[in-house]
Amino acid sequence: MRNLLDSVLKPVRRASDAGSAQFAEWFMQSRHRFTITGLSRSGKSMLFTSLMTILKYRSEQQYQCLPLLRYLPMDLVENMWVEPLGDLPEFPVEEHMAALEQGEWPPATESVAGFQLTVRLRQTHGVKKYLLPFTDIVFEFIDYPGEWLTDLPMLDKSFTQWSDSAWAQQMNEPQNQFAKDWHEAVSSFDFEQPPTPDAINVLVSKYREYLLAAKAQGISMLQPGSFLIPGSGFDWQEYGFTPLPSRISSDLSSPWTQRFTHHFEVFQKNWLAALKQSTFRETDKQIILVDLFEGLNHSKSHLYQLRETLSNLAQTFVYGDPGWVQRHLLRQQKIAKVAFVATKSDLIPAAQKDNLLALLKDVTRGATAQLDKDEIQFEHFLVSAIQATDAGSNEQALRYVNSEGRYMEATFEPLPDSLKAMPADEHYPALPAGVPRDHLARILNGNGLDRLFQYLLED
Amino acid sequence: MSTTEKTYRSKVTQTEIDVQPPDHAMPAKREAEPLPVVEPARGFSAKWLALLSGIGCVAGFSLFEAVTIIESNFASSPVATSVLAAVLGVFVLSISTMTLGEVRGYRKVTQFIHRRPKLSELARNDARQATLDALQLHASQFTRHSYAEQCYKRFTGLLKADHSSAEIVEMYRQFVAQPVKAKASEVVKKESMASGSMAFISPNHLIQSLMILWIGMRTIKRVAKVYGLRPATAGNWKLMKILAQNLAAQSIFDLATDEMTNQLSGSLAAKLMENSAEAVAAGALNVRLGKTLMRLLEEEK
Repeated sequence: MRNLLDSVLKPVRRASDAGSAQFAEWFMQSRHRFTITGLSRSGKSMLFTSLMTILKYRSEQQYQCLPLLRYLPMDLVENMWVEPLGDLPEFPVEEHMAALEQGEWPPATESVAGFQLTVRLRQTHGVKKYLLPFTDIVFEFIDYPGEWLTDLPMLDKSFTQWSDSAWAQQMNEPQNQFAKDWHEAVSSFDFEQPPTPDAINVLVSKYREYLLAAKAQGISMLQPGSFLIPGSGFDWQEYGFTPLPSRISSDLSSPWTQRFTHHFEVFQKNWLAALKQSTFRETDKQIILVDLFEGLNHSKSHLYQLRETLSNLAQTFVYGDPGWVQRHLLRQQKIAKVAFVATKSDLIPAAQKDNLLALLKDVTRGATAQLDKDEIQFEHFLVSAIQATDAGSNEQALRYVNSEGRYMEATFEPLPDSLKAMPADEHYPALPAGVPRDHLARILNGNGLDRLFQYLLED
Repeated sequence: MSTTEKTYRSKVTQTEIDVQPPDHAMPAKREAEPLPVVEPARGFSAKWLALLSGIGCVAGFSLFEAVTIIESNFASSPVATSVLAAVLGVFVLSISTMTLGEVRGYRKVTQFIHRRPKLSELARNDARQATLDALQLHASQFTRHSYAEQCYKRFTGLLKADHSSAEIVEMYRQFVAQPVKAKASEVVKKESMASGSMAFISPNHLIQSLMILWIGMRTIKRVAKVYGLRPATAGNWKLMKILAQNLAAQSIFDLATDEMTNQLSGSLAAKLMENSAEAVAAGALNVRLGKTLMRLLEEEK
């Protein structure tokens, strides 16, 4: 009898549990999905580590971090917890903090990781307090190698289109400086031979050498970036491809074009489409991290190349304001708010920050034009996930401990406020700041995260 | 690999320096309890000193007179004369200190009210330093160890070099103006309860009026103290005067009390009702008094 009763009541209970969970999700949760989009070396991992640490110390130990974040008032924060996000591996925040403890920066991301962070706020409104005693603000974050991001625009192209555009990019400054060996190898390559695995491997290896060399020299637009890191799930040794000279790629009967087109399609279908589905899921807020120092460190042409990369990327995301009904009832997500963030802003003196912000606006000009067209809100921010530097002896100087432990003072000439103002034969070497001993205090004293999240969270 | 190496001129010059890098302090913690207001160690206050030295003078002169009468030969005793002179000196000094304190407190009230920051104007100010200076000028009036001063210290600890005027003002509101206002509201609520209770248990109208006046003065003093203003007695009276000008002379509660008293006269129930109504009226009057004072001490709109 009991079994019979149980079998009848179980589905009812399940339905009721599901109903209350749904009720809680609809009325007591405010869900914010963030995509933190950043090219390789833009500081995504450090930003995540810093954000999690700051929120933890703010919530559990009541440290007054993020003073401008009015959306999550400290008095109302009841609790905060981190949960895994779907099937994604957990973000290794403990390992990153341990690395900082050892005096090393968190290692570059080579595979995807995610987490869901929930902040529970007490309700203070009179009647609401009794009906809905709390509100959960749920953040979803996904960390992934920046190299994957640059591959996304390849989804909408055919092999020939991609090959031609990749070839054209290699002919431009500054990529052409690093592509000489690759170009020579292609010139002397015998495309009359059949595309055997060994012959393909020779070509792919040469192309990878170029990609790795260009990456080391600060080039961001390198496709396919997935060929560069071991954590990628695509087997480039079996399905490798490279751009082909137009005389080959335009000949659809060439066995090389046919083979590479097949490999390219496998890459698109088995790797990129699945990657976009699992990692670059649809969100409503996007943070685009930009490391201007990589460009400033190298040359003016690197900055132009960065602008081009960002413009290309802006075309791969779905923008638009879905409205309340679509968002809550139809569960449709489109990116409705975008923040362009220049990271590591502690690496320049405070007096130069206005110029850095102006430069960021100029570098993102192509991407913002796209957003303007879609009528999407966007804003620019300067952020330092950790305050690794100290004020210098004058307004144009700052001090830092370098990786060898020496305390240095760096004096800056004024930063350019636009690409045009950047001299072609000058550069601003990036400061090789080491991990400070008091890194925890410096993370909690990091700058700009409060301003950034207040902008993204406020209605 | 053959690359065309270009040489670029560096726009950053670096030198090693022989100083220790500073250690960053952890950010301040938000106190779960309201910020502790450290009361300075209280010494012998000027008022008590004046009173006691006055009594001392009277006693001393009386004693001196008594001694003179009894010991007429020792009318010009140098020791007694010097002791009395010293006591008199202390009395004069303490009276002067007290008077000076009153004058300063009185002036402080005027200064405080006239130096209130116009926060919305400051937020629009492009010059960040000017905004900070204006807030600092206002904060310089906060008495030491007051709640407002503690909040202001916490606020200054959160400031960063790249905060704009609007952000500074927003943070000032969040970390100084709002907590101070909340604290003052708490004080007003507590004092109003006390005022209502006193009005309820007072046996007659004279005592009731005196009680309400006393609690009114106490409210003014305590609210002003939360805002970092220590107005002294004369300042309190001045605030009282300004408040009276700001307060509407008659409140709806007085009318309600009168009407209810007329309707229900004589019985014990009527007396209870009358006292209750008066208690509500006294409490409400105190709330209005406190709120008016808060408006007066807050940012200038």
